[in-house]
Amino acid sequence: MTESFGVETIQLDLPALVGALSRRLHDAGLPVPPARAADVARALTLVRPVSRGTLYWTIRSVVVTEDTQVKVFDAVFAEVFGGGSDDEPEVELEDVTTVPDWQNDEAPGSTSGDDDESEQEIPLTIASADEVLRTKRFDALAPDELAELYRLMTALELATPLRRTRRYEKRRRGERIDLRRTLRGSLRTGGDPVRPRRRRRRVVPRRLVLLCDISGSMEPYARAYLQFLACAAGCGPNAEAFAFATRLTRLTRALRSRNPERAIQRAAAAAPDWSSGTRIGEALRAFNDRHGRRGMARGAVVVILSDGWERGDPALVGRELERLSRLAYRIVWVNPRMAADAFSVRAGGMVAALPHIDALVSGHSFAALREVTEAIAGEGEAPPPVVEPAPEEVEPDPWPSATPVAGSSVAMPSGHGPSRGNTTPGWVTDE
Amino acid sequence: MITGEAAGEIRAVVPDVPTLAQRLAAVDYLVDQGLAMSLFLSLRLPQPLLLEGEAGVGKTEAAKAVAQVLDTPLVRLQCYEGIDAAEALYEWNYPRQLLSIRLAESSGRPLSEQELFGPDYLIRRPLLRALEHPGPRPAVLLIDEIDRADDDFEAFLLELLGEAAVTIPELGTIRATHPPVIVLTSNRTRDLHDAVKRRCLYHRIPYPSPEREVEIVRRRVKGASETLAVQVANAVARMRDSDVQKPPGIAEAIDWLAALDLLGVERLDVETVDATLGTVLKYSEDQEVIRAAGLDQLVRSGD
Repeated sequence: MTESFGVETIQLDLPALVGALSRRLHDAGLPVPPARAADVARALTLVRPVSRGTLYWTIRSVVVTEDTQVKVFDAVFAEVFGGGSDDEPEVELEDVTTVPDWQNDEAPGSTSGDDDESEQEIPLTIASADEVLRTKRFDALAPDELAELYRLMTALELATPLRRTRRYEKRRRGERIDLRRTLRGSLRTGGDPVRPRRRRRRVVPRRLVLLCDISGSMEPYARAYLQFLACAAGCGPNAEAFAFATRLTRLTRALRSRNPERAIQRAAAAAPDWSSGTRIGEALRAFNDRHGRRGMARGAVVVILSDGWERGDPALVGRELERLSRLAYRIVWVNPRMAADAFSVRAGGMVAALPHIDALVSGHSFAALREVTEAIAGEGEAPPPVVEPAPEEVEPDPWPSATPVAGSSVAMPSGHGPSRGNTTPGWVTDE
Repeated sequence: MITGEAAGEIRAVVPDVPTLAQRLAAVDYLVDQGLAMSLFLSLRLPQPLLLEGEAGVGKTEAAKAVAQVLDTPLVRLQCYEGIDAAEALYEWNYPRQLLSIRLAESSGRPLSEQELFGPDYLIRRPLLRALEHPGPRPAVLLIDEIDRADDDFEAFLLELLGEAAVTIPELGTIRATHPPVIVLTSNRTRDLHDAVKRRCLYHRIPYPSPEREVEIVRRRVKGASETLAVQVANAVARMRDSDVQKPPGIAEAIDWLAALDLLGVERLDVETVDATLGTVLKYSEDQEVIRAAGLDQLVRSGD
C-alpha cells in the first residue's frame, strides 16, 4: 500500500499506530485499556489532527485519567512522535521507573553482614517468634522478620472514632420515622400505617490520614512503618497515606494492593526522596495546601510518623500544625525515639509541634503499635508531655536524646556511618 | 447508544474543535487547546468529562458555557457527603400518596399499587430530570464536586455514566432518549474509583496566563478599563506565586475587578488594594503575608 495516497496511508495505519502507542504507554506505567485505545482511534478520526499540538491534545484528552500521568504521557509521546514539543518540556523516564530494590538491600537494622545469623532465627516456634517480634525494635529487624511482621500487622484493627453522616439507615429504635418504608408496609395492612418503621443517622468511622517521615534519620523505621501504612491503606477506602522527606508524596494508590511486597515496591518507586533531609514544616504545608484544606483532613484523624528532627524552620512546623489542628479531628504523633530511656522532647520540630497535637506515642515496636491504635481510636491515653526548656545544642551532637541500641543503626545518623555506603537509591546528600 | 437525532444536532453545533472554541468564546468562556479538545471529544464521542483544577479556575463555568452553546438546560447536582438516590435521582411523594389512599378510601374508589407508584407521585431529582430531557439537543448534566460524595454514590453513578440509564425498582429502567452531556468536577480530596475514571475523559484546568486572564476578566466585567484589568491580572498572578494558603482563582480576580469597577477606580494603587484585599484573599493569614511583602509590589506594572 506504499504507493497509495498519503491520506489513505494514515487511515490504514491508525489501528497499528494506536496499538503501538498503547503498548508503549502501558510499558511506561500508564495503562490503556482496550476500550480506551478504541476511543483514541475514534477521537483521531473525529478530530483528524493536522498539527503536532492537535495530535498531542487529542490523544492526551482520551488517554490521561490523572494529573500524575501527564509526565509519563509526555515522555512517551515525545519518544513516539519525536521531541521538541512546544507545549511540554521533555522528560526522561528515569525518575519514573527506578525502583529502590528493597530485597537486595541489607535491612537497615541488621548487624553488619551476619546473614546466616538472621536465618538461624527462623526455626524458632512460631509463637515464640511472634513474642520476640512483638517487642523487638523496628530498627533492629531483619528482612524476613519484616515479612513476618507484616502478617502480625494485618491483624491490627485501626478503628477511628465515629462520625455522624447525613445518610440514614433503618433501625428499630431510630429517632425518626422512615416514611418510605412505613408507607410500603402500610399497603399490607390496607393502607393504614399500623407499624411505623424508623430510621436514624448512620455513623461511619472518620477518615484516617497517615503522614510518614522517610528521611535519613527515620530510615531504620521507614520499612516497618511503610508496612504499617500499607495495612492501614488496605483496611478500607477511608484511609490515605503519604510519605515525606524533602517533598510530599501521596502513596494511597500505590499501597492499595493485595500483594504487600508489590505495594511497598510501588510506594518506594513513587517517593523519590528516600533518606534525604527532613523538611517536616514544608511537607505539612504541602499537605495542608494540596489536600488538607480541600477537605481531606477535615474531621479526620491525622497520624504523623516522624522523629521531629527538622532541617528547616521549626516555627513553620508549629504554624502548619496549627492550621492542621484547626481542620483535623485529632492529631497523633508517633515518634519512635520516644522509647529511648533518656528521651525528652528536644528535637526542634517536636517542640514546636507539641502544643498542637492530641497524643504523642512511641510505636517503636509491634507491641508499642498498640498504643498507636489506641491513640487513633482516641481511648484515654496520656496527654503529650510538657515541653522541657531544653538548651539549644543542636549542631554538635545530632542525636542528643536517642540512646543507641545495640545492633541498630541509631548510633549514627543513618547514611553517615562509614560502613553503610550508598545503600538506598534516591539518596541525596545535599545538606 | 446515542440516538441519531441528538448526535446530528450536536454535530451541527460543534463540527470541529476551532468552532467549539469560537462558540464558547461567544458566550464569554475562553478555552485553551487542551480544554477545547476535551470538551469537543466529550460532546462528540460522546463520553462524560471529568474536570479537575484549583478552586475558581472555571470548572463549573465550563459546564454552564457548554449548556449555553448547545442552548439546552443545565441540570446541576451538587454533591455532598451522604447524598443518596433519594436526593440525586428520585423520591416518592409520600404525603401525596397517603392523601390519595385516604381519598380513595372515603370515596370508595379502588387504588392500585401501580397507580400509587406511578409517574404522578414521583419527585424528579436532578439526575432523572437530565435523563428525561426531551431534546432535541441533550441537557448538560453537571455533577459538581463528586469527590465530596461518598464512594457508594460513585458506584451508583456508574450505570448513568456508562449507559445513560437509571433503574428505579418500582418503574424499571429509564433510558434517556437524548443522553445528557455529563460534566463531573472534582477537587481531589480523595481519589475517585478507577471504574468511574474509566468511563470518563479527563482534563485538568490550569491557571491561565496573565494575558489570557486579562481577556477573561474583561469579558466578565463589562466596561472595566484595560489598564485596570492588566493590573489586576498581574497582581493576582503575583499572589499565586507568593506564599499564600489559598491562591486566588479566576473567580476572585473577576470579583476584584468588579469591585474596583464599582468603586470607579481608574488605576490600582496601594490604598485601593488595601481597601479591597478582602475580595481576593479570604484568609487573614494570606492577607498578612501579602501585606508583609508590601502592597506596592502588587501595583507595580511589568516586571
